[in-house]
Amino acid sequence: MGVQVKVIQRPEPGRTSYLRAALKGMALTFRHMVNPTKVTQQYPEEQTDLSPRWRGTHVMETHADGRPKCVACGLCPTVCPANCIRLVGGEDDNGNRYPIVYEIDEFRCIFCGMCQEVCPVEAIHVGQHFENAEYSRDRFVYDLDRLMEQDHPSTLLWDPSDPRSE
Amino acid sequence: MSQSTPQANGNDAAVETVTLTIDGREVTVPKGTTVLKAAESVGTEVPHYCFHEGLSSPAMCRLCLVEVEGAPKLQPSCVTQAQDGQVVRTQGDQALRQRRGVLEFYLVNHPLDCPICDQSGECHLQDYVHEEGRDHGRSREPKRVFGRDDFGGDVLFYGDRCVMCTRCVRFMNEVEQDPRLTVVERGNRSVIDTFFEEGLDGTHWSGNVVDICPVGALVSKDFLYKQRAWDLDHTPSICPSCSQGCNISLHTRDNLVQRLKPRKNLDVNGHWMCDHGRHRYEFMNRPDRLTEPLTGRGTARTPSSASRGWRAALTDVVDRARSLAEGGRGGRVMAVMSPNASNEDIGALVEVVDALGGGDVVYRMARADDEIVLKGYPSLARRRDLAANGHGAELLGATRVGDDDATGGLEAVADHDGIVIVLGDELDDQGEDFGRAAALYLYLGAHPSEAATHADAVLPTTTFAEQEGTFTNIQGRVQRFRQGLRAPGSARPAWLILGAVAAELSGRETAPTSAEEAFDALAGRTNALAGLTWDGLGSRGALVNETVPLAGD
Repeated sequence: MGVQVKVIQRPEPGRTSYLRAALKGMALTFRHMVNPTKVTQQYPEEQTDLSPRWRGTHVMETHADGRPKCVACGLCPTVCPANCIRLVGGEDDNGNRYPIVYEIDEFRCIFCGMCQEVCPVEAIHVGQHFENAEYSRDRFVYDLDRLMEQDHPSTLLWDPSDPRSE
Repeated sequence: MSQSTPQANGNDAAVETVTLTIDGREVTVPKGTTVLKAAESVGTEVPHYCFHEGLSSPAMCRLCLVEVEGAPKLQPSCVTQAQDGQVVRTQGDQALRQRRGVLEFYLVNHPLDCPICDQSGECHLQDYVHEEGRDHGRSREPKRVFGRDDFGGDVLFYGDRCVMCTRCVRFMNEVEQDPRLTVVERGNRSVIDTFFEEGLDGTHWSGNVVDICPVGALVSKDFLYKQRAWDLDHTPSICPSCSQGCNISLHTRDNLVQRLKPRKNLDVNGHWMCDHGRHRYEFMNRPDRLTEPLTGRGTARTPSSASRGWRAALTDVVDRARSLAEGGRGGRVMAVMSPNASNEDIGALVEVVDALGGGDVVYRMARADDEIVLKGYPSLARRRDLAANGHGAELLGATRVGDDDATGGLEAVADHDGIVIVLGDELDDQGEDFGRAAALYLYLGAHPSEAATHADAVLPTTTFAEQEGTFTNIQGRVQRFRQGLRAPGSARPAWLILGAVAAELSGRETAPTSAEEAFDALAGRTNALAGLTWDGLGSRGALVNETVPLAGD
């Protein structure tokens, strides 16, 4: 079967004009300019509403006395598909298991939220936050203190009023 | 009833066998085998806690119950002997229902603290409940709480997690034969405890109770919260701490040895290993390492001197050694080696010494005052020789010098004016004048040493954990160990370095490129190892065909 070629006849030069199309476009722009339902957002002065299930920068929950809730069980580094969590466990003064080192490389993270899902003590969460620009790459490795300082709301992996998605 | 089928030929003792059916499959096992072991031989693991191969079977955990046709109720497979014509169902409805019930009872009091439990990932309760247990607990009663108790030694006891299999009690009674653990209280409140305040302090084998504990009740203090069990890589190896040659696993992560565990070899160590060897692994993780080959007298003094690579270093060494040997200025070669060098390393060293016109190979080895025998397994002991391959060194022609602290004895070597080769011995007791008079001084080692100051060549070698090879233990059993760690920088196994030097010196075209080739070549030219092959060593090792007594025996 041969290739069929459809020849399109272009109008000759001089018999066409941009004017009509340009006016159509400017009319649209003008309509938007006077439209009261504006869609442009004045970020960053105006902040976007993030979905409660937005998965962004991590948050480490803390106990009332300031200790991290993490018990260094090692499930999040195990489940992490991007291998971005580094954890070294140890024993604290009370004989409890706690994380000596807990680091998340936010650059390497793919924000899948599995660390939050797997955590048995609801310590590590992904958060409703996305603005983590930095001047250097190493600042993207968040250590335990920095994760505990994050004060944005953590992600809801499910709707609390409908936990089984019914 | 059992039917005897004596074997007609050979010197083998006649073994009576019985044939039974397990889960629809015919199994023939020696008479006296338990149903549990028979099932294991066809790949069916019947859950069990109290049963352990190295201990007696009290049949008290009630977890290995199986259906036996004709028996009125379920039978504990760990004590039921296999009989001819028996029909066993390990996965029958009744057996599964009963085992599910037993597991639910275990979880009435067992805390669900898997996230902070060191056993998590190698826990038998986890595994069995995952396989056969209920998916949800139904118990609403509060769990009884004991807290944790320091048992002394390296052992920490979490009473809440205990499933009362009493393996630890039986190990101390039957194998170590130093009964220090017992069950106190009864029923729901029963708990393992020590008799007196001293607990397990001063015992030499109590680390094994941590290994045989099926749950996280007994855990190692050394390993506490250090790593998760599922993150560890297991490498079959041989314990380097004495000449018993216990089969062990190196559990490694992040290129560091995290702990040692015994590996079953009924010919050598059974299921056990001593605490002395178990806790001596930090030396494999030493960060101070030689990483690049350096040549030229005094190179060790300026560690920053640029390495020109292995080819240049070995060419330099061979040229100098050859010119010395040809000019007759080499004299007898004096070689000092570590008794933790593998057979292949020693063989290559001997080959180099022979190629340079012969000489003496000596080694220094620490010796303990006493053997520490495991009473319930008398063929296993922490031997007096505190190195893995003293026996292999003797078999390959090395001589022991120095005292029982592995010091001294090197007066003749230190001031030797011919060729001096050091392999692995760190020469801690020698000053920086060692080898000053030598015409050629080669230092092969993993770690820097002050005594290498005057070395003409400092050649970095791997440690035993970073290479493959064989050790010969006190029985004369040659056993393989495998590589568990990556070597740093350009460090190479000594057999590779010295094998290349020997090949060059003796004009051979090829040098061994694997430990297998090195061993097979060594076995081909050494009487003591004649007949042994790398493949023939298998997982249990093979005996050498002559017995050479160790110096001092």
